[in-house]
Amino acid sequence: MAQMFPSIGEKRPKMPVFTIEECPSCGTKTKRAFKFGDYVYKEGGECAKCHAKTLITMVYAELIQVK
Amino acid sequence: MWTLSLGFLQLGGLLGGGSSPVDLIVYILLTVVSFAVVFMYGQRIQAYSALRDVRINLEKLQGLKDRSRKEAIDYMTTNMKAPKDVQQRVDQVLEYFTIMPVDMDPSGIVGKIEHVTNQQDDRIRAELKSIAPQADPVQLSVEQNILEVATSLNLLFKIVRHFYIQGQKTKSIYIIVQLQMILPMVIQEADALTSAIEAFKLAQPIGDGLGPIVAGKLMVGKEKTTIERETVYAKNEYKGRSIIALKAEGPMGTVGRPHIGVEKILNDQTNKISTIIMVDAALKLEGESTGEVAEGVGAAIGGIGTEKFRIEAAATQKDIPMYAIVVKQSLIDAISVMRKEIAEATDKVVERIHRLIEEKTKEGDTILLVGVGNTLGVSQ
Ligand SMILES: [Zn+2]
Repeated sequence: MAQMFPSIGEKRPKMPVFTIEECPSCGTKTKRAFKFGDYVYKEGGECAKCHAKTLITMVYAELIQVK
Repeated sequence: MWTLSLGFLQLGGLLGGGSSPVDLIVYILLTVVSFAVVFMYGQRIQAYSALRDVRINLEKLQGLKDRSRKEAIDYMTTNMKAPKDVQQRVDQVLEYFTIMPVDMDPSGIVGKIEHVTNQQDDRIRAELKSIAPQADPVQLSVEQNILEVATSLNLLFKIVRHFYIQGQKTKSIYIIVQLQMILPMVIQEADALTSAIEAFKLAQPIGDGLGPIVAGKLMVGKEKTTIERETVYAKNEYKGRSIIALKAEGPMGTVGRPHIGVEKILNDQTNKISTIIMVDAALKLEGESTGEVAEGVGAAIGGIGTEKFRIEAAATQKDIPMYAIVVKQSLIDAISVMRKEIAEATDKVVERIHRLIEEKTKEGDTILLVGVGNTLGVSQ
């Protein structure tokens, strides 16, 4: 019965979206604002530490609490 | 009786009248009349107030429907370089219908349903391509997703309007109250659908993209093979086992045809699959937390059931166990930009997959991992 009415969820406030870039050689992770055209497992920019090509490993929205 | 009228008289005093027998008669009459009105027309009054409530919600639904239609048209003209006069064609697409096969004799119905739904999919794609020939595959898939939302809202609006008008005509409280009862949920769902458009337009991964992200993790940097339309797989290894990871081809907004992929891989004798693991997003119940990982057995795949049927049939025929790992989320989270909680669950899912492989398989085995879901914004 409940399966027919799953949780629709709360109305979401506008959440900023971030892109995580990971360097495959040194493991450095960088978090930046999402840019149009980003997608998961796309080649990212250059690693700041070792200048290797990074990989976008995640794109997600995060609720930032403003106090 | 005396005390009762005394009450009336005092009330009369409040209203400015004197305490004369005329007042007494007036008040008794008023009481009788109002009782009679409530007795005879109570239901009708209730129907009117319910009808008003329904109308307010119907107007809201219309607003959402119109907005989604406008978004679909705007995306076409601005991103896909479609001509300015696409409105009419978009409206035609919104009215497309699919006639489901008759189910009086259910044998073989899955194939028939699949035939019809594939055709529906092809039809819309062909239509979009002819409207905007310059659009790239990602844009086409995004527009298809937006149109799906717009079509759903259009249908919801029409059904609610139908019962609203029927209620108006018949003044039947039973029709109107039933409508009034389900409307809060209908509106919530419509809101959720509308909010999904934002993620679609920017081609961002949605909550339902969890399965593809997990499968994609095992496919990055490996050679990818297309096994079926918009469905790819790659081979990987883990602790002496081979893993074949299968997902829809990203970053387009598509779910692919994983069921055909699974069928083909299982039927290929050289693969010798010993275990199937399926990863999917699951709708949570109220009170469950978003991003919760749960494990089970069976084919973890939603939809109308044709995909599930094929996977189950193929696995049963070869007697291959099916394990399912799901991540709980609400409807709104499943179709909007992926939340951090769900993104973080992907690592937990990979851990579970590894544990499952270690416990349930032995070295030299081949495992088929299927990442089920819409792969918008998720490559491989
Ligand atoms: Zn680096």
